[in-house]
This record gives sequence, C-alpha cells and structure tokens, in this order.
Amino acid sequence: MKFTHTATVAASRDRVWAKLMDIPAAARCVPGVASVRAAGSDKYLGTLAVQVGPVRLVLDGDLVVTARDEKAGTASVKADAKDSRVGGAIRATMALHLSEKEDETELRIATDLAVMGRIGEFGQAVIKRKADQLMQDFADCLARQVMR
Amino acid sequence: MSYDYHEPHSLDDALALLTRFGDDGHLMAGGTATVLLMRQGLLRPAHVVSLRTIDGLSGIARTPQGGLRIGAMATHRAVERSDAARGYSPALVDAFASVATVRIRNQATVGGNLAHADPAQDPPPMLAALNATITVRSPRGERTEAVETLAVDHFTTSLSHDEVITSVLLPPILPGTREVYLKFLPQTADDYATVSVAATLRFADDATVADVRIVLGAVGPTTIRAKRVEDALRGARPTPERIRDAAALVRDEVDPLDDLRGSADYKREMARVWTERALAALTR
Amino acid sequence: MSTHRLRFTLNGTPRELEIAADRLLIDVIRDDCGATGTKLGCGVGICGTCSVLVDGELVSACLVPAVFVDGRSLTTVEGLAQDGELTPLQDAFIRDGGFQCGICTPGQLIAATALLREHPRPDGREVRDWMMGNLCRCTGYYGIERAIMRASGAGGQSDGRGLGGQRPPSLS
Repeated sequence: MKFTHTATVAASRDRVWAKLMDIPAAARCVPGVASVRAAGSDKYLGTLAVQVGPVRLVLDGDLVVTARDEKAGTASVKADAKDSRVGGAIRATMALHLSEKEDETELRIATDLAVMGRIGEFGQAVIKRKADQLMQDFADCLARQVMR
Repeated sequence: MSYDYHEPHSLDDALALLTRFGDDGHLMAGGTATVLLMRQGLLRPAHVVSLRTIDGLSGIARTPQGGLRIGAMATHRAVERSDAARGYSPALVDAFASVATVRIRNQATVGGNLAHADPAQDPPPMLAALNATITVRSPRGERTEAVETLAVDHFTTSLSHDEVITSVLLPPILPGTREVYLKFLPQTADDYATVSVAATLRFADDATVADVRIVLGAVGPTTIRAKRVEDALRGARPTPERIRDAAALVRDEVDPLDDLRGSADYKREMARVWTERALAALTR
Repeated sequence: MSTHRLRFTLNGTPRELEIAADRLLIDVIRDDCGATGTKLGCGVGICGTCSVLVDGELVSACLVPAVFVDGRSLTTVEGLAQDGELTPLQDAFIRDGGFQCGICTPGQLIAATALLREHPRPDGREVRDWMMGNLCRCTGYYGIERAIMRASGAGGQSDGRGLGGQRPPSLS
C-alpha cells in the first residue's frame, strides 16, 4: 500500500528539518504513539495504539532512520512493529522530503506500508484509511508544532 | 476465542454486566459479525454479554401514528417477512432482503447491524433515508439518536460501551412520498455493494420536489448523505436534465476507497450513475 | 472460560451437553454429537456447506455460537430421511444429478428443504435467489435447480438460466 501526504508549514526548511529529526518529539505527533525512546544511533523503540471499532491494536516496534541528507532535505525511515495480542505486524518505509517555497516549507511523506498476519483481516481499504488518517494527522501536527 | 459468556434475562442486568466489564466486555446480538471478528482473532473480549434471553426486544409493529418500530433483536429476515414492515415501506424490506444470504439474514439482527457500523451494509442507508432513529438504553437512562449520525467511522459508532440499542423507530411516511433502495452488485448477489443508494422523495401538489433524502452506502467510512444533490432538487421540477445535473454533484460528496470492487474513481462515477437511476425511479 | 449446560434436540433426539462458551454449533454437531453429515467449508458463513436448520430456520452452523441453540430443535441432513425413506427432495437430487463430488450436498439439501417449506412451489428465480448462497465448486448448479424444481412438483422444469443473478428493485 502506497500513499503520499503533504503539509505546508509556514517556517523555514531548517526549522522543519530540525523538528522532523527530533524523532521522539516528532513521533508523538502520530495519534496513539506512546513511549518513544532512543535505542542506539538513529534507532528508536516505541508503541502505537490503534483502534478500529471494537478492535484494538497495540503495535510494538522500532523505527530506524536509514538515510538522511540535510542538504537535499530528504530522509528515509523504516518502521517495523507487531501486535502480539491480535497477531500481526506492519512494516512501513517512509521517504520524507522537504522543499522550501518562499516563506513556507512543504513536507512530503511517501509511505509504503505492508501489513502481515491477522491485522490484514481488516481488509486493505480500512487499513489504508486508518494509515492515511494517521499520516495526515502526523503531518498536520508537525506543521502546528513548528509554527508554535 | 476464550471468554466467559453471560445470558442476562433483563436489560438492566445486561447493562450492569456491561458496566462491570468495561472494555473487557462485548455485547452480542445475532453474533454474525462478533463471531467472525473473534474467529479472525481481531476481537478478544474476556466477557461476551448476549441479548438472546431478554424478552421484548424483537417485535416489529406499526406505531399508532403510522410509523414503524423494529426491536433491535429482530432478525433481517423477520423484517423481510413482516407485513407491518412491507406495509410501511417495500423499499425498507428490499434493503434488508439485499443483505448477504438467507442464512445470514436469519441470524443477523437489526440492532447488531447498526452497532457493527459497516459502511457497506444495506440497511443503514435506507434507514437513514427514511429518517429513522434508534432508542438507546444505558445505566444513565434512555436516549435517541438518528441512524444518520450513529456511525462515525469504519466499524465505529457514537455509542459508548455501556449503551444498548433497543429499537429502531421509523417516522410516518408523508403522503406523496416514494422510496427506493438500489444496490449495485457487479458480482454475486451475496456480495457487498460497490455502491448502494437509498432515497426518498416527496412531491408537492405542483409536482415540484417538496422533500428528498439521498443516502449512499459503501462509498465512504460511514453512510453518506448526499446533501448537495438534495439541495439541487428541493423545490425544483425533477426533469431528467435536472436529475442528471443534480446526481453529478454526488461525486464530490462520496469518499470511496480503491478495493477489489473497483477504484475510487470508478466508484465515484458509479455513485453518480446509481444516484441518477434512483432519482429516475422515484420520479418516473 | 465459562461452561454451559445445553439442552436441545438433534433430528428429534434430545441431547444434553456441557460445553465451553466459545464452541461453535458446527463443532458441537460434528464432534460432540458425531453427526458428521454437516460439513465445514469456508468457516466464515459464505459457502453454505454447514447449512443446518435451527427451529426450522436456515443458518450457517459455523457462525452460530453453540450456546444459542439451548432449548432449540436442530435439523441436519441426517434428519431428512424418515425410517430409511428419502424425502422427495433427496430423491430428486439423485434422479436429476443434483450433486457431483457431494461435499456441498448436505448443505444444498438443507437449504432447499427450508426453501420448499417457505415456498412450496418456487419459480426458477426464487430457487436461484434462495440457493445463491450455497456454493458448489463442481458448478453443478443446473442439476441442483432441476432437482429442487422436480421436488416442488414443477416436474424439473427450469428456465435454464442457472443459479445467481441480481434482484431487481421494487418501488413503492
């Protein structure tokens, strides 16, 4: 499943970059994320709670910054998480791209999401909608925080 | 699946159990959706509270005002076979008869269907088009809510865990009103709709549209009320051109997803086509 | 997990069992009662292979919690023939080739029995509408429809369109 989200932030690219690379703070912009902590260089551990109707998922996993290029304003992030209660896992790779346009910065996140195990029983449509919501909320929240 | 099963004999007892179990409890009506979710391992309640042994929740009868009241535990088939329901609105019966197979309709209940909040289900758009409300009981008392606003997201309602739907109330249908339920099924008849359209339309004496309600299923996270289409028709003479132009507005009101029944763009287009067909059927 | 005492009749014979809360009807019928005529197919209520009658109503035994049948009367394929005498429907399935590999046949017979009780003389469309949810992976649908029509007294006259199709809407 692939999707792209954009958010426009009324701040310089440098400021958005700094915010984005503070991973524990940036991750808290994803609704349902709890306890993100560093575990080595560019590696973080955390949990994400997701609810769809009566179904509750608690995704436990790690997030690794696999590439970053401040000059180009690009970074790649890989997230692996699993839910041991329901049984299933997700793997997401995200390509982040910042581009400055006059006084604003556009944040663009291209996500490739794979869903494994029972979580897939939800059906791709519902998962895509949920992931879409999360990523858009993340982008919007990040934009708000930088502007604050 | 591993849970304690409870069969309270009164609604008050059921509410007490739901309050006691909180998030560990799950209410079961007909069980079709709940059993599937549990078998898939997605739902793992510690306690299942059944409404099966509570009397008085499954009647279907006309109200003295000319409306219809359906008990939450009435099965889809009970509605399908009910003379009272057919006398109220054949289109309502069509919507219930469109669900899956006879076997599912014998087990699945009206209240369970609404609580499950599956946006591709057949009854919710028709109930919303007919302006139905549900009666909800909780330890805090009784309240009503419009079917139209009950679902807030995929499989998510505005109900809290200690609330139970007890009945669905449909108001009297004003004279001059027509209703229709259309389900677009490109594959087998037991499938979910690619798009479904429930609509009611009432003519004024001068042959203009006095009122119209259009609700679509399967093209958004919840059922979708096509308010812009309605506005474009209300007060107007529903000529074929007017209907065609109004139906085209539905493309921007729906919010479908790509899935095995078609791309989002295709479903937007089918929403337009089937909205136009529903309106044509109502004004023919 | 809680356990529950279950009393019901299976094909006329009273049964009393102690079962765990999460048992499904299909498993109780097959494993606890030994009535293995009813087959488990898809397990998600779609294929119709596990069709049984509960108080005469057609349901998928794979979706029904067994606790739901306390006090009810169950009919499975074993309960159709009486004293070794096949029902007209079973007889018609044999004569009209209503089965090929046979795995779906118990479900087809139960579903068709329920149909003929509700619509003793169905037309072809009513048969297809009703039986649509009972899948035959050998695609033996014409034979099934023919058999049902024969058993209904229509003499095996089918309109030849086979099972499936879409319901037209009705207007009010």
